[in-house]
Amino acid sequence: MADQANFERDAMPLAPQLYGAAVRLTRNPADAEDLVQETFLKAYRAYNTFEEGTNLKAWLYRILTNTFINNYRRDTRRPQETDLGELEDLYLFRRLARETSPTSSGSAEDQLLEGLVEEDIKQAIESLPENFRMVVLLADLEGFSYKEIADILDIPIGTVMSRLHRGRKALQVALWDFATKRGLVGEGDRPR
Amino acid sequence: MSDCDDALHEVYSYLDQEVNWYRSWIIRRHLKGCPPCVQAYKFEQRLRVVVKERLHEEVPPEFMERLRQAIQNGP
Repeated sequence: MADQANFERDAMPLAPQLYGAAVRLTRNPADAEDLVQETFLKAYRAYNTFEEGTNLKAWLYRILTNTFINNYRRDTRRPQETDLGELEDLYLFRRLARETSPTSSGSAEDQLLEGLVEEDIKQAIESLPENFRMVVLLADLEGFSYKEIADILDIPIGTVMSRLHRGRKALQVALWDFATKRGLVGEGDRPR
Repeated sequence: MSDCDDALHEVYSYLDQEVNWYRSWIIRRHLKGCPPCVQAYKFEQRLRVVVKERLHEEVPPEFMERLRQAIQNGP
């Protein structure tokens, strides 16, 4: 059992990280602040139920995502497991390879990866349906394992894997659109 | 499926460190002799780093202060 007196020392250093995830989840800094504050107050009240030595970061994310799902989600549609259709794996890599000449594919990759700015990537993540956004953030931003994500969201590990897979593909499609708008890829590179 | 299809199919699980030691060994052995698959793996790896780095969000110091006070005042 964790001692409430240690909450500030143990949990506060994780607040900036949770804030980052909260902004992407709520898509708005004011809501993100409310979400993180609510999460921390709940966590503080329940800290004596936290088993010391287990994963505090995962425990806090569990409270954060639960609070988000109950109070902040705008997307009330049922889980859209099938909405994203049958996209190909490695979407960006393959699309880039098809649309550039083999000799320039290395520099086309650099151009794409270096040219996408923060705003593009943030908007691409925020364009994902919430169920997918949550798993992609937990895996790719926070580095949680599939098992940890399954525990945080209280869903089967197979669901984690399928949402992650589809979410990452959808993210790549969105990134391709931003890259096209910025002229980082596309017509100019097509082999003649 | 060909060895390349197998290796590319597992690129995300491999980068997530979610394949067992045996699959990991098979994949690494395949990558040693397959530059096109190496290129795909490297691209996905770089993309992941780019996404993570550029998602960084600075937490407002005033908010951290408010949060600290909220906890100290107790719920």
